[in-house]
Amino acid sequence: MFALVDVNNMYVSCERVFRPALNGKPVVVLSNNDGACIARSNEAKDLGVKMAQPWFEVKHLERSAGLIALSANFELYGDMSSRMMVLAARYAPRQEIYSIDECFLDFEGVPGNLAAIGRALRRQVLQWVGLPTSVGFGPTKTLAKLANHVAKTADRKPGTYPTRLAQVCDFGILGPEELDDVMRRTDVGDIWGVGRKTAPKLHDAGIRTVLDLKRADAATLGRQLGVVMQKTVRELQGTRCLEVDDDPPAQQQIMCSRSFGNPVTELPELIEVVSGFATRVGRRLREQQEACNAVHVFITTSPYRKMDPQHSPTATLPLPRPTADTRVLVNASVTALRGIYKPGYRYVKAGVMLVELLSSKQEPTSLELFDEPEHLQPDGRRNLMATLDALNERFGRDSVSIASSAKRSARSTHASRQERRSPRYTTRLDEVIVARA
Amino acid sequence: MLRERATVSASTPRSRVAISFGSPAGESGVTRLDLNEILIRNPQAAFLVRIAGSAMREAGIDDGDLALVDRALDANHGQVVIAVHQNEFLCRRLCRRDEALGLQAPAPDVPDIWASEADNVDVWGVVTHVIKQVSG
Repeated sequence: MFALVDVNNMYVSCERVFRPALNGKPVVVLSNNDGACIARSNEAKDLGVKMAQPWFEVKHLERSAGLIALSANFELYGDMSSRMMVLAARYAPRQEIYSIDECFLDFEGVPGNLAAIGRALRRQVLQWVGLPTSVGFGPTKTLAKLANHVAKTADRKPGTYPTRLAQVCDFGILGPEELDDVMRRTDVGDIWGVGRKTAPKLHDAGIRTVLDLKRADAATLGRQLGVVMQKTVRELQGTRCLEVDDDPPAQQQIMCSRSFGNPVTELPELIEVVSGFATRVGRRLREQQEACNAVHVFITTSPYRKMDPQHSPTATLPLPRPTADTRVLVNASVTALRGIYKPGYRYVKAGVMLVELLSSKQEPTSLELFDEPEHLQPDGRRNLMATLDALNERFGRDSVSIASSAKRSARSTHASRQERRSPRYTTRLDEVIVARA
Repeated sequence: MLRERATVSASTPRSRVAISFGSPAGESGVTRLDLNEILIRNPQAAFLVRIAGSAMREAGIDDGDLALVDRALDANHGQVVIAVHQNEFLCRRLCRRDEALGLQAPAPDVPDIWASEADNVDVWGVVTHVIKQVSG
């Protein structure tokens, strides 16, 4: 069985840990230049604020409905994310960090009551880190994702699904008819692998609910809508097509992470790996015609090597402006890595995540797309290394100074752009919370 | 004089010679004392909080001190906690009297706060250590 664990309204929930006055209030978090709503509290959703809605369209709710808008605080979210991820990883043999606020856990071979394990995980993350999560269990990643949707929706909107599925939902304990009923209640556009463009096409074909999609013929749909759709249908039918660490389809965050074959201790080797990841996510970013506002980097030792000293740091580096330029992404990633790396630890995994994506059409003037050499088009390790070679050839020893100057400019523009940003409570000593005594 | 540490241990799978300063775990098994390890039992639940005010002075906590908070611990009667009261963070000693939850400070002029249905008290985390700057 797989589990999908994610944080409810991640960015808003992070803010609420340190600003209790925000509890129960409609809150949105705005993108770097305070342009669009990239996170909403349930109360803000109830006011009708849509995901990615421009701020100027909902600004009137500040006065009329008490809507509170905050600038994104990616240093805070990145640190809170790493705390949550380390805790979640303890519950299963394998973890795939899928985005800043969600991870898959592979429970293959784990005995016992999974729903009880999910509730224990949820309780621990809530107490230790202060973040509310939803946990969904399913025999495939697509079904785990659907179970997570059910867990979250049943909690937020009573009556949509059976109450006992709220917060933690295990499809493994449902009978076939109960599972069909859950799928009948779910719009096909709400599941993983069905995008905004695909959902109307499915609707046109008479496929409205997830149950309709599950009962469709995978091969036929695959011919019409592509291999991702074919996999989605087969996963809904219970056949595993996606394993942990398989590259997931495009999403709000773009992520590349890998476990190493052997532990890595040296910085140059990690720089090589992280640069490669940054290059890959940069390419995916441009494929999606998007730009990002911050880069999140993590490295981790193995919790299963009990004798090893443990170190699982993360860093989130805001970028001076939205970019899809691989050079900037690589430099930012390496800068972040240098900040968190400590010698003497045996790292077994690293990852680079691009966060706060926006359509590159939104800010055309701020983009400088990196022209990739032709030999870099398809995926693959050979090309990844070729990219590194190209980067090294292009930047040589100067890449270090570029990275450090990028960090300075990121800091200096940070304050001017983010008027409503809360303090970075967990990453800056002069910004920690203050308690009255 | 600086000395390099060079040890080889046949019992460990890594056969390389480790030459380093401040490596957390050398091949010899000798580890330099690390305040993080000494003070922080649960790194994912550890938070720093700045103290403002002198109500807790007799409990050894002064204005400007840095409190180390562990959210993993369940708060018990008598422990110093960071609590949320009326949307504000307070540093107080926790009291449990029967079922009631209270916040007290040793300073005589500071009134006790008792949780009621209308006036909630949430324990945010347990203070485990206090860091004071003495000089420098």
